[in-house]
Amino acid sequence: MSRVAIATDLDAVVEFDSVTMRIPRRRRRRGSGRRQRLRRIAGEVRREELEVLSNVSFSIQPGESVAIIGPKGPGRQALLRLAAGTLRPDEGQVRRGRRIVPMIEVARALQRFYTVRQNIFIVGGLLGMTHEHIDEALPGIAEQAGVSNMLGRYMNAAPPAVRQKLAWSIAMSVDADAYAIDQTLVVGERSFRQQCWTHVDKLRENGATFLLSSDSPKQFRRFCGRALYIADGRLQADTTVPEALAAMRAARKEARDADGAGEGTP
Amino acid sequence: MLVLRDLQKKYTRFRLGYLWTLLEPLGMSLVLWLVFSVLLGARALGLQPYLLFLSVAILPWWWFSTGIGASTRIWRRTGTQLRISTLPTQLWVVRAMLVSLIEFIFSLPVILLGMALTGFLPGPWIVMFPVAIVVQFLLMYGLSLLIAAAAVVFPDVARLVRIVLRAMFYLSPVLYSVSNIPEGAQFIASFNPLVGVLGLYRVGWWPEEASTATGYGISLTLCLVIFVAGVLVFRKLEPRILKEV
Repeated sequence: MSRVAIATDLDAVVEFDSVTMRIPRRRRRRGSGRRQRLRRIAGEVRREELEVLSNVSFSIQPGESVAIIGPKGPGRQALLRLAAGTLRPDEGQVRRGRRIVPMIEVARALQRFYTVRQNIFIVGGLLGMTHEHIDEALPGIAEQAGVSNMLGRYMNAAPPAVRQKLAWSIAMSVDADAYAIDQTLVVGERSFRQQCWTHVDKLRENGATFLLSSDSPKQFRRFCGRALYIADGRLQADTTVPEALAAMRAARKEARDADGAGEGTP
Repeated sequence: MLVLRDLQKKYTRFRLGYLWTLLEPLGMSLVLWLVFSVLLGARALGLQPYLLFLSVAILPWWWFSTGIGASTRIWRRTGTQLRISTLPTQLWVVRAMLVSLIEFIFSLPVILLGMALTGFLPGPWIVMFPVAIVVQFLLMYGLSLLIAAAAVVFPDVARLVRIVLRAMFYLSPVLYSVSNIPEGAQFIASFNPLVGVLGLYRVGWWPEEASTATGYGISLTLCLVIFVAGVLVFRKLEPRILKEV
């Protein structure tokens, strides 16, 4: 029971075929003048669509760990969501050969007025775990997130850091062989982060595939063999991590130079 | 299976207020009964006994308005869950509908109470009662798919729905019987799907309610049309919903 079709004949974990995606953004009206001011006061919002991916094609093979890097913005997240199937492309096609667990904004799905235990069941279920499986994994999840002693308490008793940890622990206990991870999911104190990465390493040895979106280079340099550099909606480079990082740095520098030059002339 | 689990969780919040699901429609019927029967003395309105006549229609109406009202808020309340899951999107609507259905079923004792108070028992046509529930569920499911999809495209829909619901309350035979509608307007009234549904609920106690068979035919077919339209429109707008939520 799923809205995501899985093509069993596909060798790749996921395959993007000239995908274009536009994401709507709501903005408050800006500008001066009576008319604009009135509209702003009335709370009218301007809606515009931002093309965050345009004509992007690539494919990811089983066992690969791919870093998705690029400037801040909704592009990387959209790519992960498309890969996992929680978004549909506007144009082009996304085909999956495996189930991909969407580990994006999981912490936001935790509901405050349910107990921690209930939350584990709900979120686990939403991510596609069966009831028995969650039952089995429950002690492990609770221990990893450090919530063993507050399973029966309401979620709003848990501080935000604990929520993040819980989100991660639940998502990681899903049995799948591909994960799409947003970097913001990996938070908390150093020891917990360390634990996260060792867990990822273990899964990788078992042949799991990872898509990792991040803007801090340190983490994925360790284990991602491949990087997709996305900027301005385009796939700028599909290379190794150091090369992609170099490209990103060069682009940043260029932008800064252009800015400086622009300021200098008038 | 996951849906059920989800529902259970949702329901734990309501259990605290279970008594309220009984008291709210009961109080509503009592107030309306007082106003329309005792104070205004409008004997011509509806059928006797009026208290039971009211409560049989008030409960489905209550279900209808809470369910439809909830459908405008689906994305705001559970959008974050939709974002992490690959379960079918329609499930979010089904879930909201099931919650309101359960509330409705738990409020049914109010009718029993009404029967006990008035001593008026139903005839063999009571078999239409479950049928009415099924039809209403289909109607509500289709309608809330439409509304939920529309609410994504135009957020203003939520406000509009509230006004329309208020109007529907007076335009549907909750307070009155179909036979109270002037002859000429009866045909127009049959384009209100609720006319047929409410008629099916009442026919068990008042067989004469079924006198305008063609009218019921039209309004019940409309229920099915809305159901099909809802399913199709929702499927069409699904990518948009996923994007906006």
